[in-house]
Amino acid sequence: MTNSKTLEDLKIAVLEGDDDLAKDLAEKSIKEGIKPIKVMNEGIIPGIVEAGDLWKKNEYFHTDIILCAEAFRLAMEIVEPKLSSGDLGAAGTVIIGTVAGDMHNLGKIMVKATLRGGGFKVIDLGEDVPNETFIEKVKEIKPNILGLGCYMTTTMLEMKKILSLLQKEGLRNDVKVLVGGVPTTQEFADEIGADAWGKDAFDAVEKAKIIMEGN
Amino acid sequence: MMLAGLSAKDYYFKVKPNCEAGAQVSGYYGFDSVSFGLDAYNIEIEALGGKMIYGDKSMPTIDFRDPLIKKPEDLDKLRKKEVDWYNDGRFPFVLESLDINLEYGFGTSIFCSPFSMAVGMRGFPKLIRDHRKNPKFAHELYTFIVDDVLLPWVKVQNKSSGNIMAIGADAWACIPNLSVKEMFDWVVPYNKRLTDKAKKKGVLAMNVSGDYCEERMERYNKEVLHGSFDVEIESQGAPSLFLAMGRWQDYPLEDVREYTAKFRDEGKNVIVTAGVNARLLRDGPIEKIVDNIKRFIDTFGRDHDLSIFFANIPADTPSDHIHAAVAAVHTYGQLPIAENLDEIDFKLPKKKSFNEWQKEHNLTI
Repeated sequence: MTNSKTLEDLKIAVLEGDDDLAKDLAEKSIKEGIKPIKVMNEGIIPGIVEAGDLWKKNEYFHTDIILCAEAFRLAMEIVEPKLSSGDLGAAGTVIIGTVAGDMHNLGKIMVKATLRGGGFKVIDLGEDVPNETFIEKVKEIKPNILGLGCYMTTTMLEMKKILSLLQKEGLRNDVKVLVGGVPTTQEFADEIGADAWGKDAFDAVEKAKIIMEGN
Repeated sequence: MMLAGLSAKDYYFKVKPNCEAGAQVSGYYGFDSVSFGLDAYNIEIEALGGKMIYGDKSMPTIDFRDPLIKKPEDLDKLRKKEVDWYNDGRFPFVLESLDINLEYGFGTSIFCSPFSMAVGMRGFPKLIRDHRKNPKFAHELYTFIVDDVLLPWVKVQNKSSGNIMAIGADAWACIPNLSVKEMFDWVVPYNKRLTDKAKKKGVLAMNVSGDYCEERMERYNKEVLHGSFDVEIESQGAPSLFLAMGRWQDYPLEDVREYTAKFRDEGKNVIVTAGVNARLLRDGPIEKIVDNIKRFIDTFGRDHDLSIFFANIPADTPSDHIHAAVAAVHTYGQLPIAENLDEIDFKLPKKKSFNEWQKEHNLTI
């Protein structure tokens, strides 16, 4: 009963974006002897999943999601090192980054959390990522999905260049490309030859799952 | 910038190319008002010493990895900074461009509104966390921004150019970034603080906050929309609505009319500044762009003070799309607005390229 309460409290802390409490409860869960995978699957991930439901119902806004994502991250930092290698990333591996010249990361913070909540292993290359770095990392890590984000109309065109580079390097068929960010649209994604477009963080994880089903 | 063939360095740092590009591109497209190109979210923070990233072909951007205020103690250090409002950062660029733009008929100063500036200084996640976990610091930050940054800056712009109106850009303060309640808690009070204090110094400072930008149509909600309009009006101090970056080609415009009815019933003029969605402008098709503008005019053109604007246009937007949009405004927007816009014959304009237009007018940048 105590374990269930701790996990329920952890879920609520993640859902409500109380990062300090989420971290403390993650630690408490481990100390109570709850298996790390159970902490993740029954405490942490349900918090962000429910946040997604509240988002879709118009009860949550970006402020709520971003705090939830931060609480998710801190809780996962406690649990992740204790997981077995097979516990993480069962859904697939995603490399994610904000394109060159663009420092915005708000969307990426949320997408990272929803992808991890969806069972994906996420490698974040950060912001202002040179095109060549995306290519190098695709070659090195061989992810299932390359996620590209941008926030400005002046930087979105980098995505087109990255797709061209993937083609040129003979990598295009080895990875699916998922794009997103404020100035992007489905039409833009189709035009540049991306495999999918995420209109928000929760759509991104749905699209990632569809991509993996197609694989 | 792209159409004029300018580098980011020339466009964002050299006054004459910036103003000439704005004037010539506005002339080429036939805009009724000159387009003023400024990265409004960066100027004050850059001058205060905020770390920026400068790309060759992109707008300068704040380096959110290394924010100006990493911890509350940094605000105390910032308070002590001596600011030269005429010479620090790109303040001279802005002041000079205000004078030049006045010659083109654009007489409004621009600033970054308090909430967006707080995001720029702190980063969105940390700022939101401050709201919830350290509200005392958050209030101190906003007060500093209004009293010690924006008030002096709008006054200097007024003194330098004579502009009595200043518009605050506040894209961060939008639905769904914030809820309506959060905007009334954190955005409106400091917008009003700025407006009230600036008024005493002879400047009308209006903040364009509360934009409704819901991407998912299934999240579209009339109540939230109307709440965002309440924020806009409180922030501007007048019955003026910006239908800015949202999906206005899809939202029901009757819901806007429903909101403005209370003002119109009192005999008040309602200003509607309606934006053609930037992504629609880029993606088209032209028929959808034209139809969107026709809807704006049909819905608001007869009993609101309507103007239509385009902003944040992606660099690879086909010129034909913008020409079509301007033609739509000028065709359907002829006063008095016709009873039945469907009876008006709309023709897509045939236009030369920008370079050809420049040659024809003996213009260079």
